[in-house]
Amino acid sequence: MTTGHDLPSARVRTLERIVEHDQTWGRMAARYGVTNPVPPWKSSLDAMCDALDEEGATLPVLTRRDDEDRLSRDVYGSLPHPENQLVALAHSLVTRHVIDEAELADRLAAVRARLDAAGA
Amino acid sequence: MAGHDTHDHAGTAPMVEEVTDFEVLEIALRELAIEKGLFTAEDHRRYTEHVEQLEPAAGSRFVARAWVDPDFRRLALDDAIAASKELGVDWLHPTGFGTPSDFTAFEVLEDTPTVHHVIVCTLCSCYPRPILGMSPEWYRTPNYRRRIVRWPRQVLAEFGLYLPEDVEIRVEDSNSKHRFMVLPVRPDGTEGWSEAALAEIVTRDCLIGVALPKPGVTTNATRPLHPALRPVAGSEAGGEA
Repeated sequence: MTTGHDLPSARVRTLERIVEHDQTWGRMAARYGVTNPVPPWKSSLDAMCDALDEEGATLPVLTRRDDEDRLSRDVYGSLPHPENQLVALAHSLVTRHVIDEAELADRLAAVRARLDAAGA
Repeated sequence: MAGHDTHDHAGTAPMVEEVTDFEVLEIALRELAIEKGLFTAEDHRRYTEHVEQLEPAAGSRFVARAWVDPDFRRLALDDAIAASKELGVDWLHPTGFGTPSDFTAFEVLEDTPTVHHVIVCTLCSCYPRPILGMSPEWYRTPNYRRRIVRWPRQVLAEFGLYLPEDVEIRVEDSNSKHRFMVLPVRPDGTEGWSEAALAEIVTRDCLIGVALPKPGVTTNATRPLHPALRPVAGSEAGGEA
């Protein structure tokens, strides 16, 4: 039984652009004078990981966590926690062909447009 | 802040008024996972509520068990994840208890009459949530995170914990993959107590290391409860069919 040590090393350009844009919580919180050190999406991310582990058989729990550990360290070492946790999860889902990268890029644009429209 | 017409919430905390790529990514991943049937929106809501409502009760039981059961104490110090499992906290299978990224290393720090431990996360707010629930607000503040490592005795005094000079203080720095919990010294005056009674005095702050357990000080903080002005008739205990 594989334990996930075969993680594809492919680059994910869509995620690299997010890293380059660098809207990490520490920077954003400082800019807006917010003191909470954890971004508001953190508990939702944790719940997503729980839900993936418990409800779906797509990524075995240890595979997902092992990916998170190694990607956070080796590929997204410049990101703080929990941004590295989130991007590592996305990378894992894309490179393991659970989510297609183009599909993710389209959805990112759609979500961004929706949220920006709500604040217009 | 004058000059714009948004209504004013005087005294409220500021918010980040900008949509970040990471917020967008979290939503996009979640929506795609739901559409692919990996989990449902209701699953996600349920787990979010669970994550946000974890409590330190398991940590209290953990310490009480270690105080009364020498075998469990040894297991707790040798393999805290296995010991947690005996209390129903499975760091590998979070639901039921815990969150996924807390998995990895969990270590119990044993206090002695001359060594006191206290935990912190200097980088952010890493905390042993599967066993202690959500971290307190102050744990996440720069005030605590920066100062406890430099002036632990002074910061503990600010919590009302005055340790004698001959007690060494060890500050353990957590990170996203390594979590700690303090095993305090069992206080005098608890001889013969049941495990359940002992668990009552092991409060969250004792498990972090900013307080010591004391007989009579329990986890059950009293909250103000005001009687209803117009109680519903027949709603008293014993109710009707």
